[in-house]
Amino acid sequence: MKRWIGPLLVMLLCAAGVHFAALHAAPTVIMARAMDMLAQRGVALHRFTNPERVTPQTQNVVRSSPDLYYALCRYDLSNPGTQLSVQMGDWPDYQSLSFFAAQTDNFATIRGTGKAVAVRLLPPGSPAADGAIVSPSAKGVILIRRLAPSAERFAAAAAAGKADRCRLIWKDRIAAPAQD
Amino acid sequence: MRRFFAYLLAVLAGSALGLGSALWMAGLLPGASTMAFGDVDVRGWRSDFAIGSDAADAYTRARVARHGLLALARSEAVYFTRTTDDDGAPLREACSYRLSGGAMPAGWWSVTLYDAASMLPANTDGALSIDAGRAGAGAWEAVIAADRPTGAAHWISSRKAGTFDLTLRLYMPDRAVIADPTTALDPPSIERLTCGKAP
Repeated sequence: MKRWIGPLLVMLLCAAGVHFAALHAAPTVIMARAMDMLAQRGVALHRFTNPERVTPQTQNVVRSSPDLYYALCRYDLSNPGTQLSVQMGDWPDYQSLSFFAAQTDNFATIRGTGKAVAVRLLPPGSPAADGAIVSPSAKGVILIRRLAPSAERFAAAAAAGKADRCRLIWKDRIAAPAQD
Repeated sequence: MRRFFAYLLAVLAGSALGLGSALWMAGLLPGASTMAFGDVDVRGWRSDFAIGSDAADAYTRARVARHGLLALARSEAVYFTRTTDDDGAPLREACSYRLSGGAMPAGWWSVTLYDAASMLPANTDGALSIDAGRAGAGAWEAVIAADRPTGAAHWISSRKAGTFDLTLRLYMPDRAVIADPTTALDPPSIERLTCGKAP
């Protein structure tokens, strides 16, 4: 019996270690896969998408609402000295600007019903600053939601979306548009 | 040599056990129900108010990453999901239902139908949800069915949905919903009307 104690302990340690490692890694892995999928479907880096209305044929993300306008911008602040300038155009109904880290956390949301919103997104570890949000991860996704439950309202939301901006800034200059 | 293989087997078995248990407990195994977890249950409508929050535990974060990616934190929106009718039977495409409710304690709300893969069902009916604007003020009703019903004010199509669920979104929820959802929220009821053969 004694000779099985060692292997049994090793098995339990491995089970516990892999269990928590898998749990810890799962959101990041799933988010990374989702980001890759979004990139493949045309969601640009540092630029808001010109979205199609969510239908069974156009849906990209699980549990999207067909009643909302979603504009996505992927960001990557890995390079030192970079930050993001984000602007959400005016919209008379509900709209929000939400930020998601690489671990899927919704680390900030700004509601902008009836007004435009402008904010800077700073890389992890940056000191707090007025009009700025510090991202907990270098990479993530920004999402604008607008209430648009009909084709007409969606077309109007898309028109409002022309004022949306998601621009990479490097040393106070707007960086060249990303290629992907 | 035998001892080496015993330890090798222990490592492999332990790793498999750890991975399998993590995926199972986080609801990440194929076919896992989105509703096996959640800390809020209001008459069958279940929610996890930790969604979107960095305070969520590892199991919640993993599950939400799979089934509710890019969901908002509860201060902005809360999401309730219902998988069964008022009698406790799973929601199925082969059946029709009456979904009814009243005003919701939120700035805007909607109820949307999703298939077992958490996607909108692959139909072209253009009847995927009902929301506060279409329902109007006060009491409202919608019929959930695979074919457009006659005489119904609102229709949510379950065509090609198989076994499905409904998600109730409450945007800009009243504070009372966060503090005490079972008291503040009177969620829609789902009465089964008819059942035919599965397509």
